[in-house]
Amino acid sequence: MSDLQHLILARLYERHPGLTQPLADSFAEAAYVCWARHHQPPVTVSLRRDNTEERRVADFPVPDERTRRAHANETDATEIGAYGVSLAAVEAVAGLVAVGRAETLTGADWYVSPSGGDIADLEDSIRLEVSGTDAGGSADIHQRLREKVAQAARGDSNLPAIAAVVGFKALEVAISSPVVRR
Amino acid sequence: MSWIDLHRASETAAIEAEQNFRTGNARDAELFYAKAAELEEQALGVIDATKLRTRAITAVSAVSLWYKAAVYERAEHLAHSMLGDPAIPQFARMELRNLVQAIWTESSKQAAKVNFIPGQVFVSVNGGDIITGAAPLDLIIEKVQMIQAIFYRTVEFIGDMPLRRRGRPIREIQESCRPWLFQAPPGSYQFAVAIQDTKQLDLFKEDPRPDLVAHQFLEILKATASEDLRQLETLVPKPEYRDAFLKLSRNLAPSGKSFESIELRGARGDASVAFTLEARTQINNTIKSYRPVTTETTETEEEFTGTLRAVDLEKDYLDVVAVGQPLHIVELGDAMDDVIGPMVNKKVKVRFVRGTRDLLRFRDIELEE
Repeated sequence: MSDLQHLILARLYERHPGLTQPLADSFAEAAYVCWARHHQPPVTVSLRRDNTEERRVADFPVPDERTRRAHANETDATEIGAYGVSLAAVEAVAGLVAVGRAETLTGADWYVSPSGGDIADLEDSIRLEVSGTDAGGSADIHQRLREKVAQAARGDSNLPAIAAVVGFKALEVAISSPVVRR
Repeated sequence: MSWIDLHRASETAAIEAEQNFRTGNARDAELFYAKAAELEEQALGVIDATKLRTRAITAVSAVSLWYKAAVYERAEHLAHSMLGDPAIPQFARMELRNLVQAIWTESSKQAAKVNFIPGQVFVSVNGGDIITGAAPLDLIIEKVQMIQAIFYRTVEFIGDMPLRRRGRPIREIQESCRPWLFQAPPGSYQFAVAIQDTKQLDLFKEDPRPDLVAHQFLEILKATASEDLRQLETLVPKPEYRDAFLKLSRNLAPSGKSFESIELRGARGDASVAFTLEARTQINNTIKSYRPVTTETTETEEEFTGTLRAVDLEKDYLDVVAVGQPLHIVELGDAMDDVIGPMVNKKVKVRFVRGTRDLLRFRDIELEE
Protein backbone atom coordinates (compact mmCIF):
# COMPACT_ATOMS: atom_id res chain seq x y z
CA MET A 1 0.00 0.00 0.00
CA SER A 2 2.86 2.39 0.88
CA ASP A 3 4.18 2.37 -2.72
CA LEU A 4 0.95 3.85 -4.04
CA GLN A 5 0.45 7.56 -4.59
CA HIS A 6 -2.01 9.44 -2.41
CA LEU A 7 -5.48 10.76 -3.17
CA ILE A 8 -5.48 14.00 -1.23
CA LEU A 9 -8.72 15.65 -0.11
CA ALA A 10 -7.19 17.89 2.53
CA ARG A 11 -6.72 21.56 1.57
CA LEU A 12 -8.38 21.13 -1.83
CA TYR A 13 -8.93 24.90 -1.92
CA GLU A 14 -5.19 25.47 -2.24
CA ARG A 15 -5.08 23.56 -5.52
CA HIS A 16 -8.60 24.22 -6.86
CA PRO A 17 -9.06 27.97 -7.38
CA GLY A 18 -12.81 27.59 -7.73
CA LEU A 19 -13.20 26.32 -4.17
CA THR A 20 -13.38 28.37 -1.00
CA GLN A 21 -11.85 26.97 2.16
CA PRO A 22 -15.17 26.38 3.99
CA LEU A 23 -16.62 24.60 0.97
CA ALA A 24 -13.52 22.46 0.38
CA ASP A 25 -13.43 21.56 4.09
CA SER A 26 -17.09 20.61 3.95
CA PHE A 27 -16.48 18.39 0.87
CA ALA A 28 -13.57 16.65 2.61
CA GLU A 29 -15.43 16.19 5.91
CA ALA A 30 -18.44 14.69 4.17
CA ALA A 31 -16.20 12.30 2.24
CA TYR A 32 -14.46 11.19 5.46
CA VAL A 33 -17.85 10.57 7.12
CA CYS A 34 -19.00 8.49 4.13
CA TRP A 35 -15.81 6.43 4.00
CA ALA A 36 -15.78 5.99 7.79
CA ARG A 37 -19.26 4.41 7.63
CA HIS A 38 -17.65 1.42 5.97
CA HIS A 39 -13.87 1.56 6.42
CA GLN A 40 -11.00 2.41 8.70
CA PRO A 41 -8.25 4.69 7.36
CA PRO A 42 -6.16 4.46 5.31
CA VAL A 43 -8.11 3.10 2.33
CA THR A 44 -7.05 2.21 -1.18
CA VAL A 45 -9.31 3.80 -3.75
CA SER A 46 -9.55 2.54 -7.31
CA LEU A 47 -9.76 5.33 -9.91
CA ARG A 48 -11.13 3.87 -13.15
CA ARG A 49 -11.07 5.84 -16.36
CA ASP A 50 -12.01 4.10 -19.61
CA ASN A 51 -10.00 0.87 -19.49
CA THR A 52 -7.35 2.03 -17.07
CA GLU A 53 -7.22 1.68 -13.33
CA GLU A 54 -5.08 3.67 -10.95
CA ARG A 55 -5.02 2.87 -7.26
CA ARG A 56 -4.42 5.58 -4.71
CA VAL A 57 -4.18 5.62 -0.94
CA ALA A 58 -6.53 7.97 0.88
CA ASP A 59 -5.75 8.63 4.51
CA PHE A 60 -8.29 10.52 6.58
CA PRO A 61 -9.01 11.41 10.19
CA VAL A 62 -11.77 9.31 11.75
CA PRO A 63 -14.63 11.83 12.07
CA ASP A 64 -15.61 12.74 15.62
CA GLU A 65 -19.20 12.69 16.85
CA ARG A 66 -19.74 16.38 16.06
CA THR A 67 -18.58 15.94 12.47
CA ARG A 68 -20.75 12.86 12.03
CA ARG A 69 -23.77 14.75 13.35
CA ALA A 70 -23.08 17.64 10.97
CA HIS A 71 -23.26 15.17 8.08
CA ALA A 72 -26.02 12.98 9.49
CA ASN A 73 -28.19 13.31 6.38
CA GLU A 74 -26.87 10.40 4.33
CA THR A 75 -28.13 11.70 0.99
CA ASP A 76 -26.57 15.14 1.44
CA ALA A 77 -23.31 13.73 2.84
CA THR A 78 -22.97 11.33 -0.08
CA GLU A 79 -23.59 14.10 -2.59
CA ILE A 80 -21.23 16.60 -0.94
CA GLY A 81 -18.56 13.97 -0.25
CA ALA A 82 -18.75 12.80 -3.86
CA TYR A 83 -17.81 16.31 -5.02
CA GLY A 84 -14.69 16.25 -2.84
CA VAL A 85 -13.59 12.80 -3.98
CA SER A 86 -14.41 13.49 -7.65
CA LEU A 87 -12.40 16.73 -7.68
CA ALA A 88 -9.43 15.03 -6.02
CA ALA A 89 -9.76 12.13 -8.48
CA VAL A 90 -9.93 14.20 -11.69
CA GLU A 91 -6.98 16.19 -10.37
CA ALA A 92 -5.09 12.93 -9.82
CA VAL A 93 -5.84 11.23 -13.14
CA ALA A 94 -6.30 14.19 -15.51
CA GLY A 95 -4.62 17.18 -13.86
CA LEU A 96 -7.92 19.10 -13.83
CA VAL A 97 -8.93 21.46 -11.04
CA ALA A 98 -12.19 23.22 -10.16
CA VAL A 99 -12.25 26.77 -11.53
CA GLY A 100 -15.83 27.75 -11.00
CA ARG A 101 -19.41 26.90 -10.40
CA ALA A 102 -22.57 28.08 -12.08
CA GLU A 103 -26.19 27.56 -11.15
CA THR A 104 -28.62 25.53 -13.21
CA LEU A 105 -32.32 24.82 -12.93
CA THR A 106 -31.79 21.72 -10.80
CA GLY A 107 -28.59 22.47 -8.90
CA ALA A 108 -25.17 23.69 -9.89
CA ASP A 109 -22.52 22.68 -12.39
CA TRP A 110 -18.85 22.64 -11.53
CA TYR A 111 -16.28 23.56 -14.17
CA VAL A 112 -12.75 22.16 -14.29
CA SER A 113 -9.68 23.23 -16.27
CA PRO A 114 -6.05 22.14 -16.48
CA SER A 115 -4.19 23.10 -13.34
CA GLY A 116 -2.20 26.34 -13.50
CA GLY A 117 -4.23 27.92 -16.32
CA ASP A 118 -5.75 31.39 -16.45
CA ILE A 119 -9.14 31.56 -14.75
CA ALA A 120 -10.37 34.91 -15.98
CA ASP A 121 -13.34 33.13 -17.59
CA LEU A 122 -14.90 29.72 -18.33
CA GLU A 123 -14.15 29.67 -22.08
CA ASP A 124 -11.99 26.52 -22.04
CA SER A 125 -13.41 24.80 -19.00
CA ILE A 126 -15.09 21.38 -18.87
CA ARG A 127 -18.32 20.70 -16.99
CA LEU A 128 -18.00 18.07 -14.26
CA GLU A 129 -21.01 15.79 -13.65
CA VAL A 130 -20.79 14.14 -10.23
CA SER A 131 -22.75 11.34 -8.63
CA GLY A 132 -22.16 9.35 -5.45
CA THR A 133 -23.40 6.15 -3.90
CA ASP A 134 -22.90 5.27 -0.28
CA ALA A 135 -23.25 1.50 -0.38
CA GLY A 136 -23.65 0.66 -4.07
CA GLY A 137 -21.30 -1.90 -5.60
CA SER A 138 -19.18 -1.75 -8.71
CA ALA A 139 -22.09 -2.62 -11.04
CA ASP A 140 -24.15 0.16 -9.49
CA ILE A 141 -21.31 2.66 -9.96
CA HIS A 142 -20.82 1.77 -13.63
CA GLN A 143 -24.56 1.84 -14.29
CA ARG A 144 -24.66 5.35 -12.82
CA LEU A 145 -21.68 6.39 -14.95
CA ARG A 146 -23.46 5.15 -18.08
CA GLU A 147 -26.54 7.14 -17.06
CA LYS A 148 -24.45 10.27 -16.41
CA VAL A 149 -22.64 9.95 -19.74
CA ALA A 150 -25.96 9.43 -21.55
CA GLN A 151 -27.37 12.44 -19.71
CA ALA A 152 -24.37 14.58 -20.68
CA ALA A 153 -24.51 13.39 -24.29
CA ARG A 154 -28.28 13.82 -24.60
CA GLY A 155 -28.45 16.63 -22.23
CA ASP A 156 -29.07 20.19 -21.52
CA SER A 157 -25.72 21.46 -22.71
CA ASN A 158 -23.31 20.96 -25.56
CA LEU A 159 -20.38 21.98 -23.40
CA PRO A 160 -17.82 19.21 -23.03
CA ALA A 161 -18.43 17.30 -19.81
CA ILE A 162 -16.69 14.71 -17.67
CA ALA A 163 -18.76 12.41 -15.49
CA ALA A 164 -17.48 10.94 -12.22
CA VAL A 165 -19.26 8.46 -9.95
CA VAL A 166 -17.96 7.80 -6.45
CA GLY A 167 -18.69 4.62 -4.50
CA PHE A 168 -17.80 5.07 -0.83
CA LYS A 169 -18.27 1.49 0.30
CA ALA A 170 -16.83 0.10 -2.94
CA LEU A 171 -13.81 2.46 -2.69
CA GLU A 172 -14.10 3.22 -6.36
CA VAL A 173 -14.31 6.29 -8.58
CA ALA A 174 -15.40 5.78 -12.19
CA ILE A 175 -14.51 8.67 -14.49
CA SER A 176 -15.60 9.11 -18.11
CA SER A 177 -13.67 10.69 -20.94
CA PRO A 178 -15.01 14.12 -21.91
CA VAL A 179 -18.33 13.76 -23.73
CA VAL A 180 -20.20 16.29 -25.83
CA ARG A 181 -23.81 16.41 -26.86
CA ARG A 182 -24.49 14.23 -29.92
CA MET B 1 -15.29 44.97 -10.42
CA SER B 2 -14.41 42.35 -13.01
CA TRP B 3 -16.51 39.37 -14.09
CA ILE B 4 -14.41 37.00 -11.99
CA ASP B 5 -14.77 39.14 -8.82
CA LEU B 6 -18.54 39.43 -9.20
CA HIS B 7 -18.95 35.80 -10.17
CA ARG B 8 -16.88 34.67 -7.17
CA ALA B 9 -19.00 36.82 -4.84
CA SER B 10 -22.13 35.30 -6.40
CA GLU B 11 -20.76 31.77 -5.95
CA THR B 12 -20.12 32.46 -2.25
CA ALA B 13 -23.67 33.72 -1.72
CA ALA B 14 -25.13 30.79 -3.70
CA ILE B 15 -23.17 28.28 -1.58
CA GLU B 16 -24.48 30.01 1.55
CA ALA B 17 -28.00 29.76 0.12
CA GLU B 18 -27.58 26.07 -0.63
CA GLN B 19 -26.34 25.37 2.90
CA ASN B 20 -29.38 27.17 4.32
CA PHE B 21 -31.66 25.23 2.02
CA ARG B 22 -30.11 21.92 3.12
CA THR B 23 -30.69 22.76 6.77
CA GLY B 24 -34.35 23.56 6.08
CA ASN B 25 -33.94 27.33 6.36
CA ALA B 26 -35.84 28.13 3.18
CA ARG B 27 -36.42 31.83 3.85
CA ASP B 28 -32.73 32.63 4.41
CA ALA B 29 -31.86 30.43 1.43
CA GLU B 30 -34.05 32.62 -0.77
CA LEU B 31 -32.42 35.81 0.55
CA PHE B 32 -28.94 34.49 -0.21
CA TYR B 33 -30.08 33.28 -3.64
CA ALA B 34 -31.41 36.77 -4.35
CA LYS B 35 -28.06 38.30 -3.34
CA ALA B 36 -26.23 35.77 -5.54
CA ALA B 37 -28.59 36.54 -8.43
CA GLU B 38 -27.99 40.28 -8.14
CA LEU B 39 -24.21 39.74 -8.23
CA GLU B 40 -24.41 37.26 -11.11
CA GLU B 41 -26.53 39.67 -13.14
CA GLN B 42 -23.91 42.36 -12.51
CA ALA B 43 -21.22 39.88 -13.63
CA LEU B 44 -23.24 39.30 -16.80
CA GLY B 45 -23.25 43.05 -17.39
CA VAL B 46 -19.45 43.39 -17.32
CA ILE B 47 -18.42 40.25 -19.22
CA ASP B 48 -16.63 40.77 -22.51
CA ALA B 49 -19.28 39.99 -25.16
CA THR B 50 -16.79 37.99 -27.22
CA LYS B 51 -16.54 35.40 -24.42
CA LEU B 52 -19.60 33.59 -25.64
CA ARG B 53 -19.45 30.52 -23.41
CA THR B 54 -18.70 32.41 -20.21
CA ARG B 55 -21.46 34.91 -20.99
CA ALA B 56 -23.97 32.15 -21.72
CA ILE B 57 -23.10 30.17 -18.58
CA THR B 58 -23.39 33.36 -16.52
CA ALA B 59 -26.76 34.21 -18.06
CA VAL B 60 -28.18 30.76 -17.25
CA SER B 61 -26.72 30.98 -13.76
CA ALA B 62 -28.26 34.42 -13.10
CA VAL B 63 -31.73 33.33 -14.28
CA SER B 64 -31.46 30.12 -12.20
CA LEU B 65 -30.53 32.13 -9.12
CA TRP B 66 -33.52 34.49 -9.51
CA TYR B 67 -35.71 31.42 -9.97
CA LYS B 68 -34.33 29.79 -6.82
CA ALA B 69 -34.81 33.07 -4.96
CA ALA B 70 -38.49 32.81 -6.02
CA VAL B 71 -38.20 36.24 -7.71
CA TYR B 72 -39.99 34.98 -10.79
CA GLU B 73 -40.57 38.30 -12.54
CA ARG B 74 -36.87 39.17 -12.66
CA ALA B 75 -36.00 35.61 -13.64
CA GLU B 76 -38.49 35.70 -16.51
CA HIS B 77 -37.47 39.18 -17.66
CA LEU B 78 -33.77 38.27 -17.76
CA ALA B 79 -34.45 34.92 -19.46
CA HIS B 80 -36.48 36.59 -22.22
CA SER B 81 -33.92 39.33 -22.76
CA MET B 82 -31.14 36.73 -23.12
CA LEU B 83 -33.28 34.58 -25.44
CA GLY B 84 -33.77 37.67 -27.59
CA ASP B 85 -30.01 38.03 -28.00
CA PRO B 86 -28.89 36.30 -31.23
CA ALA B 87 -25.37 35.80 -29.81
CA ILE B 88 -26.55 33.40 -27.10
CA PRO B 89 -25.38 29.88 -28.06
CA GLN B 90 -27.74 26.96 -28.52
CA PHE B 91 -26.93 25.12 -25.27
CA ALA B 92 -27.84 28.20 -23.23
CA ARG B 93 -31.03 28.75 -25.24
CA MET B 94 -32.18 25.27 -24.30
CA GLU B 95 -31.45 25.83 -20.62
CA LEU B 96 -33.09 29.27 -20.65
CA ARG B 97 -36.25 27.84 -22.27
CA ASN B 98 -36.35 25.15 -19.60
CA LEU B 99 -36.03 27.81 -16.94
CA VAL B 100 -38.85 29.90 -18.46
CA GLN B 101 -41.08 26.82 -18.36
CA ALA B 102 -40.16 26.14 -14.72
CA ILE B 103 -40.80 29.80 -13.84
CA TRP B 104 -44.28 29.57 -15.40
CA THR B 105 -45.01 26.39 -13.48
CA GLU B 106 -44.04 28.01 -10.18
CA SER B 107 -45.96 31.20 -11.02
CA SER B 108 -49.07 29.20 -11.91
CA LYS B 109 -48.83 27.29 -8.63
CA GLN B 110 -48.70 30.60 -6.77
CA ALA B 111 -51.68 31.92 -8.75
CA ALA B 112 -53.71 28.73 -8.20
CA LYS B 113 -54.11 29.59 -4.50
CA VAL B 114 -53.45 25.96 -3.69
CA ASN B 115 -50.66 25.11 -1.29
CA PHE B 116 -48.17 22.50 -2.34
CA ILE B 117 -45.73 20.54 -0.28
CA PRO B 118 -42.26 22.02 -0.80
CA GLY B 119 -40.43 20.49 -3.72
CA GLN B 120 -41.83 18.60 -6.63
CA VAL B 121 -40.77 15.58 -8.60
CA PHE B 122 -39.87 15.90 -12.26
CA VAL B 123 -40.49 12.88 -14.42
CA SER B 124 -38.88 12.42 -17.80
CA VAL B 125 -39.61 9.56 -20.18
CA ASN B 126 -37.00 8.95 -22.88
CA GLY B 127 -36.27 6.89 -25.98
CA GLY B 128 -38.37 4.46 -27.98
CA ASP B 129 -41.62 6.03 -29.21
CA ILE B 130 -41.03 9.23 -27.21
CA ILE B 131 -40.20 12.40 -29.10
CA THR B 132 -39.34 15.78 -27.64
CA GLY B 133 -42.43 17.08 -25.88
CA ALA B 134 -44.73 14.29 -27.04
CA ALA B 135 -45.46 10.71 -26.08
CA PRO B 136 -48.17 8.07 -26.58
CA LEU B 137 -51.11 9.01 -24.34
CA ASP B 138 -51.68 5.50 -22.94
CA LEU B 139 -48.06 5.17 -21.90
CA ILE B 140 -48.07 8.48 -20.05
CA ILE B 141 -51.41 7.79 -18.36
CA GLU B 142 -50.11 4.42 -17.19
CA LYS B 143 -46.92 5.98 -15.75
CA VAL B 144 -48.82 8.83 -14.10
CA GLN B 145 -51.18 6.35 -12.43
CA MET B 146 -48.22 4.32 -11.23
CA ILE B 147 -46.46 7.38 -9.82
CA GLN B 148 -49.65 8.38 -8.04
CA ALA B 149 -49.93 4.87 -6.58
CA ILE B 150 -46.34 5.04 -5.31
CA PHE B 151 -46.96 8.50 -3.84
CA TYR B 152 -49.99 7.25 -1.93
CA ARG B 153 -48.08 4.20 -0.73
CA THR B 154 -45.26 6.50 0.46
CA VAL B 155 -47.74 8.62 2.42
CA GLU B 156 -49.22 5.50 4.03
CA PHE B 157 -45.74 4.18 4.80
CA ILE B 158 -44.62 7.46 6.42
CA GLY B 159 -47.90 7.50 8.36
CA ASP B 160 -47.07 4.00 9.66
CA MET B 161 -50.37 2.66 8.37
CA PRO B 162 -50.90 -1.06 7.85
CA LEU B 163 -50.31 -2.14 4.26
CA ARG B 164 -53.43 -1.63 2.12
CA ARG B 165 -54.05 -4.73 0.03
CA ARG B 166 -57.34 -3.78 -1.61
CA GLY B 167 -58.93 -0.63 -2.94
CA ARG B 168 -57.80 2.96 -3.03
CA PRO B 169 -56.23 4.94 -0.17
CA ILE B 170 -58.53 6.35 2.48
CA ARG B 171 -60.39 9.48 1.43
CA GLU B 172 -58.33 11.61 3.86
CA ILE B 173 -55.14 10.78 1.96
CA GLN B 174 -56.70 11.14 -1.47
CA GLU B 175 -58.14 14.55 -0.62
CA SER B 176 -55.38 15.97 1.50
CA CYS B 177 -52.32 14.79 -0.30
CA ARG B 178 -53.36 14.89 -3.90
CA PRO B 179 -50.70 14.72 -6.61
CA TRP B 180 -51.01 17.37 -9.30
CA LEU B 181 -49.47 17.28 -12.73
CA PHE B 182 -47.67 20.29 -14.13
CA GLN B 183 -46.14 20.80 -17.49
CA ALA B 184 -42.35 20.73 -17.14
CA PRO B 185 -39.39 21.72 -19.26
CA PRO B 186 -39.31 19.81 -22.52
CA GLY B 187 -36.38 17.60 -23.39
CA SER B 188 -37.79 14.22 -23.86
CA TYR B 189 -41.37 13.99 -22.58
CA GLN B 190 -41.41 15.57 -19.16
CA PHE B 191 -43.89 16.45 -16.50
CA ALA B 192 -43.76 17.46 -12.84
CA VAL B 193 -45.77 16.06 -9.97
CA ALA B 194 -46.52 18.34 -7.01
CA ILE B 195 -48.48 17.35 -3.95
CA GLN B 196 -51.27 19.55 -2.75
CA ASP B 197 -51.09 20.24 0.95
CA THR B 198 -54.49 21.32 2.16
CA LYS B 199 -54.41 20.56 5.85
CA GLN B 200 -52.44 18.83 8.55
CA LEU B 201 -53.08 15.13 8.30
CA ASP B 202 -53.87 13.15 11.41
CA LEU B 203 -51.63 10.42 10.12
CA PHE B 204 -48.64 12.77 10.27
CA LYS B 205 -49.07 13.42 13.98
CA GLU B 206 -45.90 11.56 14.78
CA ASP B 207 -43.94 13.15 11.97
CA PRO B 208 -45.25 16.57 11.08
CA ARG B 209 -43.17 16.96 7.90
CA PRO B 210 -45.31 16.28 4.87
CA ASP B 211 -42.43 17.56 2.71
CA LEU B 212 -40.82 14.24 3.52
CA VAL B 213 -43.14 12.61 1.01
CA ALA B 214 -41.40 13.77 -2.17
CA HIS B 215 -37.96 13.15 -0.71
CA GLN B 216 -38.88 9.74 0.70
CA PHE B 217 -40.65 8.82 -2.53
CA LEU B 218 -37.42 9.35 -4.50
CA GLU B 219 -35.21 7.68 -1.91
CA ILE B 220 -37.42 4.58 -1.89
CA LEU B 221 -37.47 4.40 -5.69
CA LYS B 222 -33.68 4.74 -5.76
CA ALA B 223 -33.30 1.93 -3.25
CA THR B 224 -35.62 -0.41 -5.16
CA ALA B 225 -33.34 -0.15 -8.21
CA SER B 226 -30.12 -0.65 -6.27
CA GLU B 227 -28.27 -3.95 -6.12
CA ASP B 228 -27.53 -3.25 -2.45
CA LEU B 229 -30.53 -4.74 -0.62
CA ARG B 230 -29.40 -3.15 2.66
CA GLN B 231 -30.40 0.30 1.37
CA LEU B 232 -33.99 -0.77 0.80
CA GLU B 233 -34.17 -2.77 4.02
CA THR B 234 -32.93 0.22 6.03
CA LEU B 235 -35.31 2.61 4.35
CA VAL B 236 -38.32 0.28 4.34
CA PRO B 237 -37.98 -2.16 7.24
CA LYS B 238 -41.45 -3.68 6.80
CA PRO B 239 -41.25 -6.59 4.32
CA GLU B 240 -44.83 -6.11 3.05
CA TYR B 241 -44.14 -2.46 2.15
CA ARG B 242 -40.82 -3.43 0.55
CA ASP B 243 -42.64 -5.92 -1.65
CA ALA B 244 -45.26 -3.31 -2.62
CA PHE B 245 -42.66 -0.68 -3.52
CA LEU B 246 -40.58 -3.16 -5.52
CA LYS B 247 -43.58 -4.27 -7.59
CA LEU B 248 -44.78 -0.73 -8.19
CA SER B 249 -41.25 0.34 -9.22
CA ARG B 250 -41.07 -2.57 -11.62
CA ASN B 251 -44.31 -1.38 -13.22
CA LEU B 252 -42.67 1.98 -13.76
CA ALA B 253 -39.57 0.59 -15.49
CA PRO B 254 -39.46 -0.12 -19.24
CA SER B 255 -40.15 -3.67 -20.38
CA GLY B 256 -39.61 -3.35 -24.11
CA LYS B 257 -39.18 -0.86 -26.89
CA SER B 258 -41.90 1.76 -26.30
CA PHE B 259 -39.52 3.77 -24.12
CA GLU B 260 -35.95 3.32 -22.90
CA SER B 261 -35.91 4.95 -19.51
CA ILE B 262 -37.94 6.93 -17.03
CA GLU B 263 -36.05 9.34 -14.85
CA LEU B 264 -37.39 10.96 -11.68
CA ARG B 265 -35.66 13.75 -9.85
CA GLY B 266 -36.28 16.31 -7.12
CA ALA B 267 -36.86 19.95 -7.99
CA ARG B 268 -33.46 21.01 -6.71
CA GLY B 269 -31.65 18.01 -8.10
CA ASP B 270 -31.39 16.57 -4.56
CA ALA B 271 -32.08 13.04 -5.69
CA SER B 272 -32.66 11.28 -8.93
CA VAL B 273 -33.32 7.78 -10.14
CA ALA B 274 -33.44 6.36 -13.66
CA PHE B 275 -35.31 3.17 -14.46
CA THR B 276 -33.97 1.31 -17.48
CA LEU B 277 -34.26 -2.27 -18.67
CA GLU B 278 -31.21 -3.04 -16.52
CA ALA B 279 -32.92 -1.55 -13.48
CA ARG B 280 -35.97 -3.71 -14.20
CA THR B 281 -33.77 -6.80 -14.22
CA GLN B 282 -32.27 -5.71 -10.91
CA ILE B 283 -35.73 -5.17 -9.38
CA ASN B 284 -36.83 -8.60 -10.63
CA ASN B 285 -33.77 -10.18 -9.01
CA THR B 286 -34.57 -8.46 -5.73
CA ILE B 287 -38.22 -9.53 -5.85
CA LYS B 288 -37.11 -13.08 -6.55
CA SER B 289 -34.63 -13.06 -3.69
CA TYR B 290 -37.38 -12.06 -1.23
CA ARG B 291 -39.89 -14.60 -2.55
CA PRO B 292 -40.48 -17.55 -0.22
CA VAL B 293 -39.00 -20.80 -1.48
CA THR B 294 -41.58 -23.28 -2.85
CA THR B 295 -42.47 -25.68 -0.08
CA GLU B 296 -43.17 -28.68 -2.26
CA THR B 297 -40.00 -29.80 -4.00
CA THR B 298 -41.97 -31.25 -6.92
CA GLU B 299 -43.36 -27.82 -7.83
CA THR B 300 -41.55 -25.94 -10.56
CA GLU B 301 -42.26 -22.38 -11.55
CA GLU B 302 -43.73 -21.81 -15.02
CA GLU B 303 -44.13 -18.62 -17.06
CA PHE B 304 -46.92 -17.61 -19.40
CA THR B 305 -47.21 -14.47 -21.51
CA GLY B 306 -50.62 -13.22 -22.58
CA THR B 307 -53.25 -10.54 -22.03
CA LEU B 308 -54.65 -10.09 -18.54
CA ARG B 309 -58.39 -10.34 -19.18
CA ALA B 310 -59.80 -10.58 -15.68
CA VAL B 311 -58.71 -10.16 -12.11
CA ASP B 312 -60.77 -10.54 -8.95
CA LEU B 313 -58.82 -10.07 -5.77
CA GLU B 314 -61.86 -10.86 -3.60
CA LYS B 315 -62.46 -14.19 -5.32
CA ASP B 316 -58.70 -14.66 -5.54
CA TYR B 317 -58.14 -15.40 -9.24
CA LEU B 318 -56.95 -13.93 -12.51
CA ASP B 319 -57.36 -14.98 -16.13
CA VAL B 320 -54.69 -14.55 -18.77
CA VAL B 321 -55.33 -15.32 -22.44
CA ALA B 322 -52.87 -15.88 -25.30
CA VAL B 323 -53.82 -16.96 -28.83
CA GLY B 324 -57.16 -18.18 -27.58
CA GLN B 325 -55.64 -20.22 -24.79
CA PRO B 326 -57.01 -19.14 -21.39
CA LEU B 327 -55.20 -19.67 -18.14
CA HIS B 328 -57.02 -19.49 -14.81
CA ILE B 329 -54.67 -18.77 -11.93
CA VAL B 330 -55.68 -18.77 -8.28
CA GLU B 331 -54.33 -18.00 -4.82
CA LEU B 332 -53.21 -14.45 -5.58
CA GLY B 333 -52.07 -14.09 -1.98
CA ASP B 334 -50.47 -10.71 -1.38
CA ALA B 335 -51.34 -9.27 -4.80
CA MET B 336 -52.41 -5.64 -4.55
CA ASP B 337 -54.99 -3.61 -6.47
CA ASP B 338 -52.65 -0.82 -7.50
CA VAL B 339 -50.03 -3.28 -8.76
CA ILE B 340 -52.29 -5.57 -10.81
CA GLY B 341 -55.16 -3.19 -11.63
CA PRO B 342 -53.28 -1.15 -14.27
CA MET B 343 -52.29 -4.37 -16.04
CA VAL B 344 -55.84 -5.36 -17.06
CA ASN B 345 -56.17 -5.72 -20.86
CA LYS B 346 -52.40 -5.38 -21.23
CA LYS B 347 -49.78 -7.93 -22.15
CA VAL B 348 -48.33 -9.51 -19.02
CA LYS B 349 -45.93 -12.22 -18.01
CA VAL B 350 -47.37 -14.33 -15.20
CA ARG B 351 -45.42 -16.83 -13.09
CA PHE B 352 -47.16 -19.69 -11.35
CA VAL B 353 -46.65 -23.18 -10.00
CA ARG B 354 -48.74 -26.16 -11.08
CA GLY B 355 -50.18 -27.85 -8.01
CA THR B 356 -52.23 -30.97 -7.58
CA ARG B 357 -55.21 -31.47 -9.95
CA ASP B 358 -53.56 -28.93 -12.32
CA LEU B 359 -54.40 -26.04 -10.00
CA LEU B 360 -52.30 -23.07 -11.11
CA ARG B 361 -51.09 -21.12 -8.09
CA PHE B 362 -49.98 -17.52 -8.53
CA ARG B 363 -46.38 -16.42 -7.87
CA ASP B 364 -45.82 -13.13 -9.69
CA ILE B 365 -47.02 -10.94 -12.55
CA GLU B 366 -45.42 -8.11 -14.50
CA LEU B 367 -46.13 -5.96 -17.55
CA GLU B 368 -44.62 -7.19 -20.79
CA GLU B 369 -44.32 -5.63 -24.23
